[in-house]
Amino acid sequence: MQTLNNEAKTNQTKKYSLIDTDIHERVMYEDLFPYLEQPWRRYIEDCNWQQEKHMPFTQPAVAGVDRADAKTPDGKPAGTSLPFMQEQLLDANNHEVGILTGALDPSPSSMHGWYEMATALASAYNDWQINEWLDKDSRLYGSVHIAAQEVGNAVKEIERVGSHPKMIQVLLPIDDIAWGDPYYHPIFEAAERHDLMIGMHHNEPPAPLGKWPRYFIEWHSLIATSHMAQITSMIFNGVFEKYPKLKLMMIEGGFTYVPFLMKKLDQQFKDLRHEVPWVTTMPSDTIKNRMAFTTQPLEEMSRKEWNLLVEQMGTDEIICFSTDYPHWDYDSPDEAVPKGLEDDVLERIYGENARKFYPKLPARGDI
Amino acid sequence: MAAVICREEELEKQEMIPGSVDNIPVFVCRTSEGEIRAFIDRCPHQGACMSKGKIDGAPMSTAPGEYSFEHEGDIVRCPWHGREYNLRESGKPLAPVKGKLKEFSAYVKDSYVYVELKRGS
Ligand code: FES
Repeated sequence: MQTLNNEAKTNQTKKYSLIDTDIHERVMYEDLFPYLEQPWRRYIEDCNWQQEKHMPFTQPAVAGVDRADAKTPDGKPAGTSLPFMQEQLLDANNHEVGILTGALDPSPSSMHGWYEMATALASAYNDWQINEWLDKDSRLYGSVHIAAQEVGNAVKEIERVGSHPKMIQVLLPIDDIAWGDPYYHPIFEAAERHDLMIGMHHNEPPAPLGKWPRYFIEWHSLIATSHMAQITSMIFNGVFEKYPKLKLMMIEGGFTYVPFLMKKLDQQFKDLRHEVPWVTTMPSDTIKNRMAFTTQPLEEMSRKEWNLLVEQMGTDEIICFSTDYPHWDYDSPDEAVPKGLEDDVLERIYGENARKFYPKLPARGDI
Repeated sequence: MAAVICREEELEKQEMIPGSVDNIPVFVCRTSEGEIRAFIDRCPHQGACMSKGKIDGAPMSTAPGEYSFEHEGDIVRCPWHGREYNLRESGKPLAPVKGKLKEFSAYVKDSYVYVELKRGS
């Protein structure tokens, strides 16, 4: 008999507790209507309003930016059905926890203008996420969506839903705002109050030239540069000194750029500390102690190459496995990680690092 | 070991019909010329089920900025990361990497398509 996912057969992850740190549920505007107040709903219903798309590419794989086998059985776009996600991802791979990272595509925080609409959309999205996903599957945990452009409203939204027991982070898009800017610090303060971490996921960043490159392959190859820009901004704007409980999860940039960034930031800090005297910790220590990185899209590599990267970072406790389901560059839990890593390493990257990172995740076996 | 996968008349061009032989997942398909071929239904990259992908052609080029569309009906594309394998060249990948899509031998007997677990040519 044909199994749903042939890849599930090797069963590498079945031994470990799997916490998947990047899963994309998807909303259709009509699903948001029950949660969206007027006048906002009418702009979509009557005027066909849509968020502006930034990315001029839809061509990466057979079904665009989604796995071609992730369209729902009734023909709806990938990521729109909880039962299908349960069957194809959570049950098939024996997930203990799946962390939902959205998004409204692009994020409300990426909208250029009409921030009131962005705020309304973020609230509706959070209510939809809680009611339709988090409350319906004990394995799923969520991200608070905000419209960060108006910080006061963003803080109100964090106050409104941030204490939900299954909301574990505030999600910020990696786009054209550098989030370390003091204007956005009230967001971090509110997150810290609710034991929420910050998750940053690239939306459609115009990396690296301030405009789109000619080909998708150029943009996708350099996504990590936009992650580096955010880490640099957060560190040198003193966010981690100012908010001692706050941590930052960098989502969907992989981790192989981290050794370079640690060395570079440390070197710069030794010389240029005087410009940012509020920073008191070596950047590489901040990265080790206050950040983590989701694995996907993981470059194919040998165990030896993996170990060299870990040796340069000085730790593997900042690496958290992710699939990025249902997108085209999905990483299979059984296949993406190099073969032959030791059991204790796999246990950390598949689950325990993420559990340690997010204070609101349950203890092992408590779901 | 061989097993029936489908009736010959069911198998259209640009279509993949999955099945299994001795618990090995396989699919059968036709090349652009109508010849029947059989391959493992598991991508050599990360194991996606190839029959959920697409049989297609491939953009090719002889100079930057120039596109042509070739091999129509002879390229199978993985449903996940989209890697391309040539059905008429024993599952050879189009990118210059190792890892063919493993081919098995397929034959028709009494109007049924069989796949046999010895390697195809
Ligand atoms: S699993 Fe087929 S291209 Fe990656």
